[in-house]
Amino acid sequence: MAVLAGVPLAIGLSAWSGGGSVRADEVPAEAAAAGVRFPVRVNRPSGPPRVLVDTEGVPPGTTVACSTCHATRPPDRTNARTDDLDEFHQGLVVRHGDSTCLACHDPTDYDRLRRADGRPVAFEDVMDLCGQCHGPQRRDWRHGAHGGTTGYWDLTRGPRTRNHCVDCHDPHAPAFPRMRPTFKPIDRFLTPDAESHE
Amino acid sequence: MSTRTKPEGKRPTRRAVVKGAAVTLGAAAFAKAVSPVAEFAEGLTVEQFLRRHYKELSEDDKREVLARIERDTEAEYGAACKVADPPPLPGVKFAYAINLSKCNGNGKCVEACHRENNHDRDTNQSYIRVLELEKGSMDLEKGNTTYDHAVPAEGKDYLPVQCQQCDAPPCTAVCPVEATWKEPDGIVVVDYDWCIGCRYCEAACPYHARRFNWKKPTIPADEVNPDQGLLSNRIRPQGVMEKCHFCLHRTREGRLPACAEACPTGARVFGNVADPASELRWILANKRVFVLKEELGTKPSFFYFFDD
Amino acid sequence: MSDGVATARHSRSYPRFLLRMLALSTEGSAAFYGWMTLLTAVFLVGVHAWARQMADGMVVTHMTDHVSWGLYIANFTFLVGVAAGGVMMVIPAYLYRDREMHDVVILGEILAVAAIFMCLAFVTVDLGRPDRFWHMFPGIGRFNFPISMLTWDVLVLNGYLLLNLHVVGYLLYTRFLGRTPDPKWYVPFVMVSIVWAISIHTVTAFLYCGLGGRPFWNTALLAPRFLTSAFVAGPAFVIVTMLFLKKRLRLPLSSKPIRTLVSIVRVTILVNLLMIASEVFTEFYTGGAHTASAQYLFFGLHGKDALVPWIWTAIALNVLAAVLFLGRRAMTDARVLTVACVAAFAGCWIEKGMGLIVPGFVPSTLHEVVEYVPSVVEWKVTAGIWAFGLMVFTVALKVAIPIFSGEERLSPRP
Repeated sequence: MAVLAGVPLAIGLSAWSGGGSVRADEVPAEAAAAGVRFPVRVNRPSGPPRVLVDTEGVPPGTTVACSTCHATRPPDRTNARTDDLDEFHQGLVVRHGDSTCLACHDPTDYDRLRRADGRPVAFEDVMDLCGQCHGPQRRDWRHGAHGGTTGYWDLTRGPRTRNHCVDCHDPHAPAFPRMRPTFKPIDRFLTPDAESHE
Repeated sequence: MSTRTKPEGKRPTRRAVVKGAAVTLGAAAFAKAVSPVAEFAEGLTVEQFLRRHYKELSEDDKREVLARIERDTEAEYGAACKVADPPPLPGVKFAYAINLSKCNGNGKCVEACHRENNHDRDTNQSYIRVLELEKGSMDLEKGNTTYDHAVPAEGKDYLPVQCQQCDAPPCTAVCPVEATWKEPDGIVVVDYDWCIGCRYCEAACPYHARRFNWKKPTIPADEVNPDQGLLSNRIRPQGVMEKCHFCLHRTREGRLPACAEACPTGARVFGNVADPASELRWILANKRVFVLKEELGTKPSFFYFFDD
Repeated sequence: MSDGVATARHSRSYPRFLLRMLALSTEGSAAFYGWMTLLTAVFLVGVHAWARQMADGMVVTHMTDHVSWGLYIANFTFLVGVAAGGVMMVIPAYLYRDREMHDVVILGEILAVAAIFMCLAFVTVDLGRPDRFWHMFPGIGRFNFPISMLTWDVLVLNGYLLLNLHVVGYLLYTRFLGRTPDPKWYVPFVMVSIVWAISIHTVTAFLYCGLGGRPFWNTALLAPRFLTSAFVAGPAFVIVTMLFLKKRLRLPLSSKPIRTLVSIVRVTILVNLLMIASEVFTEFYTGGAHTASAQYLFFGLHGKDALVPWIWTAIALNVLAAVLFLGRRAMTDARVLTVACVAAFAGCWIEKGMGLIVPGFVPSTLHEVVEYVPSVVEWKVTAGIWAFGLMVFTVALKVAIPIFSGEERLSPRP
């Protein structure tokens, strides 16, 4: 029996093969008005995620599409949370408010997502899905005030690359992870001192 | 006639001989004492010594200066580099905004600055310092830069501080030799070949933005960033001031500064505030924006904001 | 009687005057040679330490980007005060026509010259790039005047040096020639120097109090405080010098100038203490973030307290000096007066030097507490400059005393 080891976390540019294409509606209105010469590239998922298969007889690293399993099994709508699952997706941590699996996943086609009103959303366009709840973040992102950016501030000189939601936020547990500072100044006569500053 | 006045034209007295010996001995001791200055002078060429102020350099002079710095860097650090001097862009006024709701104090910007700007490796020098503050409080007195734990810590906010590129900079006014000034695009620069190292600007800056080269920077050849600017990240000489220059060797070419690209939280927004369509202008119009130490009247081009 | 004849005579007598001064400054008792040898030795130690600092960088000091000025600028600030303090002899001598003070006023002027030389030396050793000193010269460099207060300081300090060199040189030269000095050649300069003395210390205070980012310095009381402490330290030094000349060298000096100076210090030392008290009250009663520096200075901050012993020593010395000065024995007992003067001088040195400069940087503008204690190199350089200053002062006295007493004259006399 195939055991799905979990869903790969969608963090980091490397998860998205092509680096994405440009979507006209995602280019900030301000940049568009300025007579853009170079594009703003927005990282996008390359398609539906593939799930690692961890079972005997299958070469390690084999992945399958969601629909491979889900096409044959009707969804059990009583399973609202990961705790309710007694097989598959074991260990998947979901910390995303009160959202249930089917709040985002489309039970009629697991290779795509769906909006709250039931309209389908391709995995590539996951921002449209996030944005329906996270309006302020979507607004800020559209205006360049949310999300990491690299490249050129001046689009007449060169292109810009922008992160999209799941570059930084795991959709199942979207809180930004804690980090450990790895680079600190080495100041003379300023050693960390337990008694200073509380 | 004074009794102590020596008659002239006589053989030197014993006292005069002793005096002469003492003077010779003193002069020799002085020469010995002052001899380490020769080590300093060794690294100093005539062209370096006689270089004119940046603003007085002709285009030909500048080409020579850039070529000389490239040669010196090669000779002293074993690293080939390209030193350019990009001019300010017309119609551009640079500004920065940091989202304090997003910044988590991870310090990637500090490190990116360190690498980009050829800072001294021994001290982990950087133009950016990140303070850990009590959440909801701007009392720097309760902050520190030496925190070393997973971030963001419970109940803490983080405040990265670098040069605020003030429109009324206290640092440039105090310089006795005009070695630092504000460029038309808003960047406050230092002419590293003109600064006399009095550190008055460092005393005048309210943001701890200026750094002094207490010694010659140490950088391994393979870590030298070869993409250098005359007024920005070329390796600085010993004994002069330096400061954040908004990575002008990048930003005047249209690129984002190193710290902005390095930020993993997307808290840093950089751009041309003179452009009404810029991201910065949207932030200024729509976010709760503040500047540091506004009461000092320094008019920073560096803004901090919070999300709703 | 034409000017040409006079010029011709000066062209012969002035070189002889210079030669004679050179001879006088290199002749003396065994004690004099011992003293000068000691000063030379200390001076050379300082020169060597500074040369090392040049070669290795200012990392050999204990200054940092947090405390970017230290012992050098502290001494500079104090010595500007000593230079200005000499004016407390000039004012009685010239404005109040005190005859006896007039006879010894040259002491104050010589002290000013020596102190300014030390000031210039302290600024020079504090520079990261002394080789670029010429960048300040108008014409070949770029002199940021009048915007930078430091350029004002350069002008007033060098101006004060020139004024005093002129007055001292002119008086000595005319005495050497056996003539009565012509008032039109020195009185106007003396009058200017009175205003100028006030200006050097005011401008030096403005260096600090004009910085909005340093609340500890950003007080209108700073310049008046500088002046009053200068008018304590300067006269204190002169009093000790006069006591030395009178008691040890047995020079026939009148006691009246000493009494006048004691009377002056009796006022200034109290005003100085009053001003410190005002500052302390304002800082601590107001409270808030701007008190942090004063908190650090007087009581320590976040467990860091390197300056606390310094400032309490300074206050103890200043109070002790005030009590001794105000007592009757200050006028009668040379030993009590000497102790009072030394206490006052040392008290002001700490209070205005380390006690004023360092807390301006602690906490830093980002409120980090980085402490500063001078390095051995800094102490060596500082000692070297003090030795240099004392050499200048000693040699100048050595030359001035015989010329002023009439012992030395141009020879042969007409």
